[in-house]
Amino acid sequence: MNMLPGPAQAAAIGLSIALPLLLLCYARITATGGSGRRFRLGCISVVVLYAIACIALPGQRQLDDVLSGLLLLGTAMMFCYVLFSLLAWGFTLTLLTALVQAERPLTPEQWAEAYMQGGDLGTFTHNRLKLLVGAGMVITADGRLAPTAKGVAVAHLAKLVRLSTGLG
Amino acid sequence: MSFAIGLIAVAVFALLAPTLQITARARAWPLGPVTLLAIAALVSHGLGVALGIVALPQFRYWDAASIFAFCVMAYVFAFGAVYKSVSLEILLGLIDRPGRAAPLSEITERQVPGLFQGRIGILVDRGLVERANSGFVATAAGRNLAGRVGRLRYAFGIGHTSLYDFSD
Repeated sequence: MNMLPGPAQAAAIGLSIALPLLLLCYARITATGGSGRRFRLGCISVVVLYAIACIALPGQRQLDDVLSGLLLLGTAMMFCYVLFSLLAWGFTLTLLTALVQAERPLTPEQWAEAYMQGGDLGTFTHNRLKLLVGAGMVITADGRLAPTAKGVAVAHLAKLVRLSTGLG
Repeated sequence: MSFAIGLIAVAVFALLAPTLQITARARAWPLGPVTLLAIAALVSHGLGVALGIVALPQFRYWDAASIFAFCVMAYVFAFGAVYKSVSLEILLGLIDRPGRAAPLSEITERQVPGLFQGRIGILVDRGLVERANSGFVATAAGRNLAGRVGRLRYAFGIGHTSLYDFSD
C-alpha cells in the first residue's frame, strides 16, 4: 500500500487546509463583500492556486494525481460550505443565539421577534420565499403561491433524495 | 484500480447510511443523523482500505480516499439540503396541497410558525433550551454552543440574522 500522496494531491491537501484560513483572512477585508461572495471568492482562489501548483510543481503530472487532487479540493469546498452555510443561514442555530443574546426567558412570540431583530416571522418567510421565487421554483400571483414546473421537479428530486438517504 | 476500490467503498456507504438512518428511527437509537452518517463513512472507508490492501499489491491510498471523500461529501451535501431546509419545506408543503397552491398568508401565518415551533422542539429535545414559566431559556449547554457559534461568526465575518443577502 502506498500512503504517500502525489505532488498534486499534496498541493490539494495543503490548499484544503488553507481554505478556512483564507476565509478568515477575507473576512477582514471589507471589499470582499457578504458571506456568500466571500465563500465563492475563497473557492475560486484555491482552485486558481491549485492550477498554478499543477503547472509549477517540478516533474511530470500524472492524470490520476491531478484528478484525485481536484476531488480532494472539491471535498474540502463542500465540507467548508456545509459548516459555513450552517453558521451563516442556519435557522435553528440562529434561534439559539437570539435566545442567548436576549439574556432573559422569552415567550415564542418574543423569541420570534428577537430572532428577527425587531422584525417578525413574515419578514423571514418573505426572505426564504425570495430564494424560491428567484430560483424560479415558485411564482406568486394574487397573493397566492404556486410551484413552477421547475419547482415541482426539484420537490420530486428532494423527495427522492429523502427516500434514498433514509430520511423518509 | 485504486479509484475502483474507492467507488466500491462509496457503494457500501450508500447502502449503509440509509440503512442506519432507518434502523435508528425504527429502534429509537439515541444517535443523531449526522453521527450515523459519520459511522457509515468510517465503516465503509475502513472496509474499502482493507479491501484495497488485500486485493491490490500497489494500492494507492489517496486515489481511493479522494473519490470516496468526494462522493460521500456530495451525499452529505444533498442530505443536508433536504434534511432541514426551510425553503424546501415550504416548497414541499405547496406540492402536497390540493391544487398545488396556497395563499401567501397561510404560509406566513401557519406553516412558518409551525416550522418555528418544530425547531424550538429540536432545541428543547437536545437539551440546549428549557421551558421557564411561559417562556424558554437557554441551558448552560445552549449558552456554551451559542458562545462558540458567536465567536466563529465573528471570526468569519458572518452576521447574526440567518437571512439570505440577495445583494451578495
